[in-house]
Amino acid sequence: MVQANDYNNDFENKWCPGCGNFLILNAMKEAFASQGIAPEKMMLISGIGQAGKTPHFIQGNIFHTLHGRALPVATGAKTANHDLNIVVNSGDGDCYGEGGNHFLAAIRRNVDITLLVHNNQVYGLTKGQASPTSPLGTVTRLQSQGTTSQSFNPMAVSLAAGIGFLARGFSGKTEQLTGLIQRAMSYPGFALVDILQPCVSFNKINTQKWYMDRVYDIDETTHDTGDFAKAMALAMEWGDKIPTGILYEQETVPFHQRIKALGDQTLISHAFDGKKVARAFA
Amino acid sequence: MTIDITVKIGGEAGQGIQTIGTLLSQVCHTAGLFIFSVDDFESRIRGGHSFNLLRISDGPVKGPGNRVDILVALDQRTLSLNRDTLEKGAMVILNSDTETGFKDNILAIPLKGLAKEAGGAITANTVAAGAILSILGAPFKVLEALLNKRFAAKGEKIVSLNTSAARKGYDAAGDLRFPKQFSWTPQETHTIIINGSRAAAMGALASDCRFFSFYPMSPATGIMTSVVPFLGKLPIVMEQAEDEIAAVNMAIGASFAGVRSLTATSGGGFCLMTEGLGLAAITETPLVIINAQRPGPATGLPTRTAQADLLFVLNASQDSFPRFVFAPGNPMEAFELTKKAFTLSEKYQVPAIILMDQFLNNSQVTQDNCFVVDEELPTFICHDTDMADPGQYKRYQFTDNGISPRALPGVGKAIVRATGNEHNEAGQISEEAQNKMAMNEKRNGKCKAMIQEMSLPQVIHGDSSTLLVGWGSSREIIIEACTALREKGRDVGAVLIKDVWPLDREQWRCILENKTFIMVEQNSNCQMGQIISQETGLFYDGAILKDDGRPLYPEYIIEKTAQIME
Repeated sequence: MVQANDYNNDFENKWCPGCGNFLILNAMKEAFASQGIAPEKMMLISGIGQAGKTPHFIQGNIFHTLHGRALPVATGAKTANHDLNIVVNSGDGDCYGEGGNHFLAAIRRNVDITLLVHNNQVYGLTKGQASPTSPLGTVTRLQSQGTTSQSFNPMAVSLAAGIGFLARGFSGKTEQLTGLIQRAMSYPGFALVDILQPCVSFNKINTQKWYMDRVYDIDETTHDTGDFAKAMALAMEWGDKIPTGILYEQETVPFHQRIKALGDQTLISHAFDGKKVARAFA
Repeated sequence: MTIDITVKIGGEAGQGIQTIGTLLSQVCHTAGLFIFSVDDFESRIRGGHSFNLLRISDGPVKGPGNRVDILVALDQRTLSLNRDTLEKGAMVILNSDTETGFKDNILAIPLKGLAKEAGGAITANTVAAGAILSILGAPFKVLEALLNKRFAAKGEKIVSLNTSAARKGYDAAGDLRFPKQFSWTPQETHTIIINGSRAAAMGALASDCRFFSFYPMSPATGIMTSVVPFLGKLPIVMEQAEDEIAAVNMAIGASFAGVRSLTATSGGGFCLMTEGLGLAAITETPLVIINAQRPGPATGLPTRTAQADLLFVLNASQDSFPRFVFAPGNPMEAFELTKKAFTLSEKYQVPAIILMDQFLNNSQVTQDNCFVVDEELPTFICHDTDMADPGQYKRYQFTDNGISPRALPGVGKAIVRATGNEHNEAGQISEEAQNKMAMNEKRNGKCKAMIQEMSLPQVIHGDSSTLLVGWGSSREIIIEACTALREKGRDVGAVLIKDVWPLDREQWRCILENKTFIMVEQNSNCQMGQIISQETGLFYDGAILKDDGRPLYPEYIIEKTAQIME
């Protein structure tokens, strides 16, 4: 039996006290353990930002990559060995800003990985600048006159791009979040869990209370996760009420099954056959 | 006496210049002749002025020909542009609907008209090939056999259409023959026609490279195109990335997970890859990148050639780390050095960069078919069974030679941590001053052994007082120029560099000191000359630089060397 504690490691945590990331970290450990995945079988890949540090605080294989580049690295790793259980930790700036092109491409490829976006609507690591999900007019120390770009809606964009599994969680509802991460990981294809979280240091608007007053679980409604139009309507819902849960799930063929060469076995598992290569050259 | 002639086929893009060149090359190949074929194309799909220079000889030729013995002008403009540069006794085939017949060494043929008579305007190229081969004295049956083979898959109708088009062209030339006549007896040959792109792709496959990620960019795309025929035959995956940043990071991810990976691009794409290059370096993930150079900066001259990215690739990415840089001089070297790059990148866990260019990638040459695939390859991966306690595995463990045992994630008990942050032995982020210095020393400490892996520059006629020094794709051209200069009584040798970095300063100095040495490079700032000065303290005595985007020809080097030596 794998326990959530098996995922603890002794590396000193570097997040601010009270950060939503701690709860996301706990939900991840619970979700991994509940699926019986041993730490040495987990592959955590991340970009840059406070979310990007997450893999360091978990026992498991990790690749903490560059800003915005976690998804291409994960795509390469999954293609090389599709038996790897890959979870990517990214943030709103890392994934929707710096890595925006890779985000769209990863959805289109439908790589069988789980993407957790720690979405706090602000840049934490660089001390409080606006992020792609900050609302228009957000005032920060840098954007002192208010931001001049509309906010990015990751839910609507990923639906439009053809995502097969889309969920939204909230760090303050860890039990629900654990379930969402589990479901995302068991989904055979690209799965996004956009996770709303407060930033106690730099986001004084979207606080724990702000979210608690607004989030509701669509599981408690009559939502049909196979209904694209309704999912899109939920994706557009933001303000007094913010839906969380699985917005959309549709059966798809994951990337590695679309590639003939990966049909029978993983790419890594082939033995080199020099004679075969020589014959192919002839 | 060997016969060595050059056929220039010129016209608008889209007129099938390459098709004619390829047909001629293949016919020459079946007769055991040697070719060297260079394309000079504009960055457009239709119109403009492009040409193919096809050198044909009954002895081996390794460089391009730049004379025009036979001009094939698919349009009037080609004739106007080349009329004054024809060799004495040159013959011209002109595509013309208005004036036909032979006059002043110009044979005017309505290529399209004849193609239509044969049954389809699309076969105009085959008509042209027929006419050229007729003038060269090739028996029609040689061309006929080739067309049969080439179009067999497309069915009898297409074969007969092309055969009849070829016949029209062949007969249109009548009894006209170029004075120098090859023997066209079909030969069993052990040679193939190959370009640098294909050779590099084969080198990667022979190295067990299984993951190819790329973003299309001239002149690197041909490398990936060359992998396509092997997709169903070998366990390989090729992925067109959303951009070069993704291409390099996918290659890094695949390599980290345990398969050898290649990405190929040109200078502009390499700019985008420099961040990934640094990631591969600090995470000590093997990575091979081919940079097929073209003139820059920015878009530069997309379809043309240069050797102007040397300083860039040597210094690309912030801070410092060890890397390998290779610069093959012909397709066989591209094959061999790609193999070497894969082996060494994995052995030392450092990035390896192969500098090619448009000229090397696209030029076709006849060469011996001796692409050796090793039956077994050395691998440098460690498994649980190699460890006393896999639970204690540290990815960046300090060792005497700086190389840490490299385990793969998810395949055993060992936990593998990699990060682009500076890290400790376990792969956890570390900002400690001592650790930073130790990690730098560990990574840079590999250089000493890396230098020992590199072969020294090849020296030809090293006892000469003057040495022409070049690197990469100018190799064969410099050799040809050197030979010609010596025949003219010049005391000239050559130094040819293919293993570029890291280099053995003392050994390089030994080669060059007390010599007059002249750099031959296709850039404007003498990049290898700068490296040599920096590393050996020796300053070059002269430089033959060509930075017009066009191939280097022996004649150019001969002329400039003579001027410098005066």
